[in-house]
Amino acid sequence: MDQPIRIVLAKVGLDGHDRGIKVVARALRDAGMHVIYAGLWQTPEAVVRTVADEDADWLGLSLLSGAHMTLVPRVLDILKQADLANVGVIVGGIIPEADIPKLTAMGVAKIFGPGTSLDDIVAFLKTPREHKP
Amino acid sequence: MIAGLLERLRHGDRNALARLLSITARGEQLADIQSALAIPCEPSPVRGRSPSRVVAFTGSGGVGKSTLIGKLINLVRNLGRKVAVLACDPQSPLSGGALLGDRFRMGSSTDDGVFIRSLAAQTGHGAIADHLDVMIRLLETFGFDAIFLETVGAGQGDVEVRNLADVVVLMLQPESGDDVQWEKAGILECADVIVVHKSDMPTAEQTAAQVRAALDLSMGRSVPVLRVSTKANQGHAELWQAIEALPLRRRPASAALLLFQMAVDTLRQRFENRQQDAELRKLVEAWQRGEVSTASAVETLVRSLES
Repeated sequence: MDQPIRIVLAKVGLDGHDRGIKVVARALRDAGMHVIYAGLWQTPEAVVRTVADEDADWLGLSLLSGAHMTLVPRVLDILKQADLANVGVIVGGIIPEADIPKLTAMGVAKIFGPGTSLDDIVAFLKTPREHKP
Repeated sequence: MIAGLLERLRHGDRNALARLLSITARGEQLADIQSALAIPCEPSPVRGRSPSRVVAFTGSGGVGKSTLIGKLINLVRNLGRKVAVLACDPQSPLSGGALLGDRFRMGSSTDDGVFIRSLAAQTGHGAIADHLDVMIRLLETFGFDAIFLETVGAGQGDVEVRNLADVVVLMLQPESGDDVQWEKAGILECADVIVVHKSDMPTAEQTAAQVRAALDLSMGRSVPVLRVSTKANQGHAELWQAIEALPLRRRPASAALLLFQMAVDTLRQRFENRQQDAELRKLVEAWQRGEVSTASAVETLVRSLES
């Protein structure tokens, strides 16, 4: 049987804009994925704990606060410390062009900015990655 | 791989627990996992602890199951006990997708004594995810003192959890139907504790009174009906006291049921192997012609499968 992709969607830091992440959650659900919605105002530590306990394949972070260059590296670090470097990380929200290569160099798999079609996100997540150990 | 994961689980590796729960949820290698986890349904002998208390929370969507569980997690942690939650939400029968949105209401934490897992439940599977029994035993082996099960918000006929849980808490809310609702079969009769949640609402006492009146008609069963308000922060300590006052009911009932299910599987296997036997075909033909009564045909069939 085809196993559904498990993805945690979360917003980290002081950022109350959750319309976008909820639209993405709905689209991924309709594409047959199991979406664990972790909600607003999460700390990087709590997000990583959620990813660990849920045994997720992916983590999707949404940031519209401008704090992405602080919070995203922090999440990536804690993921590594928790022995979860194999979990793919995608980021959405308001991310300036100049920061995109920096974030991908740190290990973010893909950044989806405003205007991204939901089909593109689904297609990206459904492209096979190397199997987790 | 399973043996390695189970070894890591016994040494308190959370990532191993998380991975084993995924494997179990997919129904893979169940026999290997089951046989490694002591005798089915026996109290786990891990570190000389008493067995975990498994509490199921059921009730319709929006009644406040996740929110209440979030409150109880804090309460139980303050008593120094470790708690795990298996939270079920519905899976789409069309796409197979699911939006698992319980844990964000339970509060986020990095407390090692709290473990929350979201699970997708298929329609028609009794409002809970498959293989929950094995998952409970994994959590028990890991060392959680309390295990909370959250059913999908179905509300009626969520009886499957009764076999898995020590205590079933049914959650109701004010303004949720007239007194005939409480007379319907399977709703109140499956509960060990009834919570009227959102009891800060003005009609909460009326709902509680209707429920108590309906329960009074069932002789010999005393079920506590408690008013709890998470908004007003009232009634949680009393609820936990009521839950703890109840016996750990799960073991004997579910062990017998498990054995019965295994017996049924064995009989089905034997039947499938013998479908072409002349004896069996003769019996079926005689029954179809009306020469043998149904009752006696069934009896003959059961006896023929005895060995």
